[in-house]
Amino acid sequence: MIVSKNLSKQFGEFEALKNVSFEIEQGEIVGFLGQNGAGKTTLMRILTAYLPSSSGQAFVGGEDVSLNPLAVHKKIGYLPETPPLYPNMTVKAYLRFAAQLKDVGVKFQKAQVEHVLEECRLEDVQNQVIGTLSRGYKQRVGIAQAIVHEPEVIILDEPTNGLDPIQILHVRELIRKLEHKRTVIVSTHILSEIEQLAKRVLIIKKGEIVVDSNLEKFLIPDDRKQIFVKVKGEEFHIEQAVKDTNSVKQINIEFLGEDIYELHLENTNNVAHYGELVQNFIKYGIKVIEIKEKKGTLEEAFLKINK
Amino acid sequence: MKKIFAIANKELSGYFRSPIAYVVLIVAVTVFNVFFFMIIDENQEATLRDVFKVMEFLFVFIVPILTMKVFAEEKQLGTMEFLMTTPTTHMQIVLGKYLGTLVFFTLIMCWTLPYYGIIKFFSHPDTMTMMTGYIGIWLEGAFFIAVGLMVSSWTRSQIVSAILSYVLLFFLYFASALVKYTGGFFQSIIKYLDVMGHTQNFIVGLLSSSDAIYFISGIVFCLVMTRISIDTRIWDNI
Ligand SMILES: Nc1ncnc2c1ncn2[C@@H]1O[C@H](COP(=O)(O)OP(=O)(O)OP(=O)(O)O)[C@@H](O)[C@H]1O
Ligand SMILES: [Mg+2]
Repeated sequence: MIVSKNLSKQFGEFEALKNVSFEIEQGEIVGFLGQNGAGKTTLMRILTAYLPSSSGQAFVGGEDVSLNPLAVHKKIGYLPETPPLYPNMTVKAYLRFAAQLKDVGVKFQKAQVEHVLEECRLEDVQNQVIGTLSRGYKQRVGIAQAIVHEPEVIILDEPTNGLDPIQILHVRELIRKLEHKRTVIVSTHILSEIEQLAKRVLIIKKGEIVVDSNLEKFLIPDDRKQIFVKVKGEEFHIEQAVKDTNSVKQINIEFLGEDIYELHLENTNNVAHYGELVQNFIKYGIKVIEIKEKKGTLEEAFLKINK
Repeated sequence: MKKIFAIANKELSGYFRSPIAYVVLIVAVTVFNVFFFMIIDENQEATLRDVFKVMEFLFVFIVPILTMKVFAEEKQLGTMEFLMTTPTTHMQIVLGKYLGTLVFFTLIMCWTLPYYGIIKFFSHPDTMTMMTGYIGIWLEGAFFIAVGLMVSSWTRSQIVSAILSYVLLFFLYFASALVKYTGGFFQSIIKYLDVMGHTQNFIVGLLSSSDAIYFISGIVFCLVMTRISIDTRIWDNI
């Protein structure tokens, strides 16, 4: 659905994007993650055919963004970094205007506007002048304008900027609802958010893509899967059971009281099952209370990448 | 076409929501009124010739105020990114904005129509001359607006936009004064660019295709230049 081939962008001497390549399938929800100034906004502006790239190509729905921007604009709904709002217009008039420019049929404009007013929970302020809205409401109007024409591809630059936690949940719901039907790209530098919003993450660092991965896989890299096991038994037996198991290596053992220990283990081969380990525990008469996979946090991963 | 009207409509209603437009309207109408009665009192003539001259001069002052925000404000607000990522061609954006401003300007001009009524009531004015006069100054205003629009497309700053528009409009308006300091080919260019000379013919009732071509080609030129500056996002690159 979205293809980027060796995109580069120079601002004078400065290279904002370097050889960016990726493909996004229809129905995917992808998060662009990166520090301030990493190039997220620039990349989105190129994909939406707002900025020309310096070299490389980008396609949205099969259309080349530099050769056929109008066709691309028909397919996309875009929320720029600063919500593009006219302070003197009312919410409703603005959404109507957006619908007109985005080829929503005259007969459907009213219904579409009402639909997004409801979807973005803007009914209460629909006749209010945009300039007097609070930050979060403005952001929601920005999102509403992006989806008013039910585009195939939705590109949202920091959609949750300025929203309260409940609204963030709501935006997440909204985006999740679009899943499978529509392709969604969101950018953010709030790490926990991307876990909630996206299934796949592209991490951009100084204009380069350093990670392109399924979020689950990214958080728990296969080769360093760590587990915590709570067991009850004698320490000597426990350690022997671990030693007998080829697929794990002991990192740490902690005494929790009353013969209960917590083991911190590392999975040395890539298989994610603990049958052998459990069998060995049983052999030594050790009770297994809990097995827990340690999930990496995005913070950890992010800090490591940006070191 | 629908989109051009949608943009024009947004632009026009934008004027009515902004205080500046009302100030311009009030000032323009007041100045028209004062000068109208002064001129009529002085000349005792059944023509609007001198009123037109006052209007022309006033246009130089009010057009930049009307046009300074047209594109500059969109860029400031970030709405240019919105307009340019909707399936709307750059030409449609330019024409929509031009049309919206032109309609507002025409509404201001309509406030002078009662003068015609007053003169008509008291004497027998030459209707033909008056009509060509109106056409002339309307074309002049339309040309000025195109110039202002073009300048507004160059920058994010409304102030810069207004100042540059004043420079260009003063040049067009006072070009005749520069003629004597120049010579040769350059002189003939300045003579041709001088906007007053072309309007003058309309005001005295002379319709010539060369004057019409001057205005229309000027408008087309400015609108095309506006489109080009949007195509190239010139405000980001200078
Ligand atoms: N028009 C421009 N002219 C010059 N440099 C620019 C321009 N636009 C962006 N840049 C530079 O390109 C780099 C990437 O900017 P971009 O806005 O894409 O970052 P970002 O990842 O969106 O950051 P943030 O998280 O702060 O929004 C920055 O260093 C920025 O200064
Ligand atoms: Mg950004």
